[in-house]
Amino acid sequence: MTDAIVREEPPPPARQGIQLGQLVRSLEVDTRQLGMIGLLAVIWIGFNIASNGNFITARNLWNLSVQSASIGIMATGMVLIIVSRNIDLSVGSVLGFVGYTMAILQAEWIPNALGLGFDQPYTWIVTVLVGLVLGAFIGGVQGVIIAYGGVPSFIVTLGGLLVWRGLIFRYAQGQSMGPMDSTYQLLGGGPRGAMGDVLSWALALLACAGIAYTMWAGRRRRRRYGFPLRPMWAEVVVGGVSMAAVLGVVWVFNSYAWPPSLATQYAVEHGITEPPGGLIIATGVAFPVVIMLGVGLVMTYIATRRRFGRYVYAIGGNPEAAELGGINVRRTITLTFVLMGMLCAVSAAVQTARLNLAVTGLGVQNELDVISAAVIGGTSFAGGIGTIPGAILGAVVMQSLRSGMAMINVDSPTQDIVVGAVLVTAVGVDAWLRRRSGS
Amino acid sequence: MQIRRLAALVGAAAVIVTACSTGGGTAAPSGGGGADCTVGVSWNNYQEERWAKWDEPAIKAALDAVGAKYVSNDAKSSAETQASNVENLITQGADVVIILAQDGEAIKPAVAAAIADGVPVIAYDRLIEDPAALYITFDNVLVGKLQAEALLKVKDSGNFIVMKGNSADANADFLREGMVQAGLPPAGESNDKLKNVGESYTDNWDPSIAQTQMEQFLTANNNAIDIAFVENDGMAGGVIAALEAQGLAGKVPVSGQDGDAPALNRVAKGTQTVDVWKDARLLGKSAGEAAVQLCANKDIKAVSGVGTFKSPGGNDMTSILLTPQAITKDNLNVVVDAGWISKETLCQGVAAGSVAVCG
Repeated sequence: MTDAIVREEPPPPARQGIQLGQLVRSLEVDTRQLGMIGLLAVIWIGFNIASNGNFITARNLWNLSVQSASIGIMATGMVLIIVSRNIDLSVGSVLGFVGYTMAILQAEWIPNALGLGFDQPYTWIVTVLVGLVLGAFIGGVQGVIIAYGGVPSFIVTLGGLLVWRGLIFRYAQGQSMGPMDSTYQLLGGGPRGAMGDVLSWALALLACAGIAYTMWAGRRRRRRYGFPLRPMWAEVVVGGVSMAAVLGVVWVFNSYAWPPSLATQYAVEHGITEPPGGLIIATGVAFPVVIMLGVGLVMTYIATRRRFGRYVYAIGGNPEAAELGGINVRRTITLTFVLMGMLCAVSAAVQTARLNLAVTGLGVQNELDVISAAVIGGTSFAGGIGTIPGAILGAVVMQSLRSGMAMINVDSPTQDIVVGAVLVTAVGVDAWLRRRSGS
Repeated sequence: MQIRRLAALVGAAAVIVTACSTGGGTAAPSGGGGADCTVGVSWNNYQEERWAKWDEPAIKAALDAVGAKYVSNDAKSSAETQASNVENLITQGADVVIILAQDGEAIKPAVAAAIADGVPVIAYDRLIEDPAALYITFDNVLVGKLQAEALLKVKDSGNFIVMKGNSADANADFLREGMVQAGLPPAGESNDKLKNVGESYTDNWDPSIAQTQMEQFLTANNNAIDIAFVENDGMAGGVIAALEAQGLAGKVPVSGQDGDAPALNRVAKGTQTVDVWKDARLLGKSAGEAAVQLCANKDIKAVSGVGTFKSPGGNDMTSILLTPQAITKDNLNVVVDAGWISKETLCQGVAAGSVAVCG
């Protein structure tokens, strides 16, 4: 440990170009993710101009965050699936099946069949737990057939896409199911389904503390194992920018006040006399977004810090080597599908709560959005490459395109054309850049 | 190896047989009967609840009233099976055939053959592009007209949006056409009272897409939307969820159709203005009655109540277009009395005294 190589300073630059490159390299930021943030900025500014300044507003960005949540949650699981050289085409149907089951549970079974009545305090938690177990079970069944049965994941999940959708039609008989439990509805967002300003700031400060701790712990670990350290100025820049971003996002969400008529409703419900300018209630981070961020954090931890996650990447990098290296490939693959099933259940809760309704077509074609989000976020079909934050960013990019076009009155068939073209272009440019940089 | 493959085949066959044997068994040739009229019905997929629950009893009742015979079979969602099913019905002695088409194109040869045999054909609910067949359905243009009329009655001026169904579905445009008949400006246009601030097709009639679309319309117009013309109940659910998040549910009139339980509940709560309801039993009844008339006289133009319908394929179809019913807060008793929805489901969460039928 004494001969640890501590390289605080970058080697002297030879030319201007290299100097800039090295500066970026010392920051150790993912340039692909930087590129994606750049793309996002271009999309946002473009739509803001096209919509006469309606796009980059607190209200719209808040909307965008809620609209991205469901796909973002599932995309984090899809990363691990694709990284291990598999695919899951069934996520939309699994979401629909689990979502419909959760809806029927709270709108029919608990209140009517069991006679316990509507809007019980435990309804939402029972519903979500049943959904999670069901999602894990469905994922487990598919995973076992793929990993132990040796049937390609494309086929198994293509079958799943048909089977689970068919089962919804069979037991829903074309009927919609709703409305949802009043507490459960909060999972879907809306001004009432958000944290408010105080909790949101607390969350932001917690996140900043988390960033500081992670960076400090990372630096200590590197020193212990004798890895090169990031120069101090780079640490400050990266940490400062991350914290500023967190605080900025929360500030934007907090500056979106409750819609006036909803605030009036609230005032009446709580017996508050409204001040002359109307009651101003800060909305804060919406619950589905909190869920997405929580899922993203946990999944990142699993993917990068847990043995299971590292195994997934090892399998994706070279399945034979992983097997020979003593990794239980079958078990690991099965677990990725179990995880995916549970994430489908989480998204199902968010979607049905948000819509306050379950329909037989719930989640149709979501598999395409989820796979697109993961792929735009830098996950490679060759296996072994992909990040969780990238996938969430990919979901935001996709949703920005859709919401922006909806705002300027481009209807959904045209939206599909644009999203499809952007998907292929983004991945094409990425592949080209990767070839050029020779990595 | 051979044996293993055989075993796999047998296994697969067993799965298929088990899967198939759970359903079906609907062919029910009724014996005896005095009248000399036999009506055959070819269902495309009898396992869907609606046909067994609403349509078939209504057809049977209309036939029983005059002592006509009823035979039927089920194509189990297969267009090929349905073609041979139609032949089977004629072999069984059907004088008239009612077809709920699985595929309006694929069934055409079988329909032409039946008509050539002197057996009149009724296209039930779904269009079969053969002008020699009698087409009985609900008037979708009228559905759109009823939706728009109900909304315009509540609010006849201001900013409006139109949430249309799937762009590939002709019904989306029929509905929009009906709205124009009720006085709404055509797609993309405004007049001096009604300003079009947003209009969109919706992939798969998907409520989630409709919700996002509505959120964006509201944001782009800073909530200045006064009327929301929505083509069906599912999308109305999405639109109302978006309005609810802005505290506007119940303040902006919204339309729908289908008689979905959650939508009727919203009508009772006052967040949805109108739900246009197509009573399947009315469809079954008129098809049964038309079939009986065709037994006596094979000329489809002589059936009472027929008109001409210009089909998307350019054919002048002899048709009976049934009138759908607009359900609003004032006549919710209609759906309860009809047994379409239970009072508990309809009235869940409805404030006491606000709706007559809920008490």
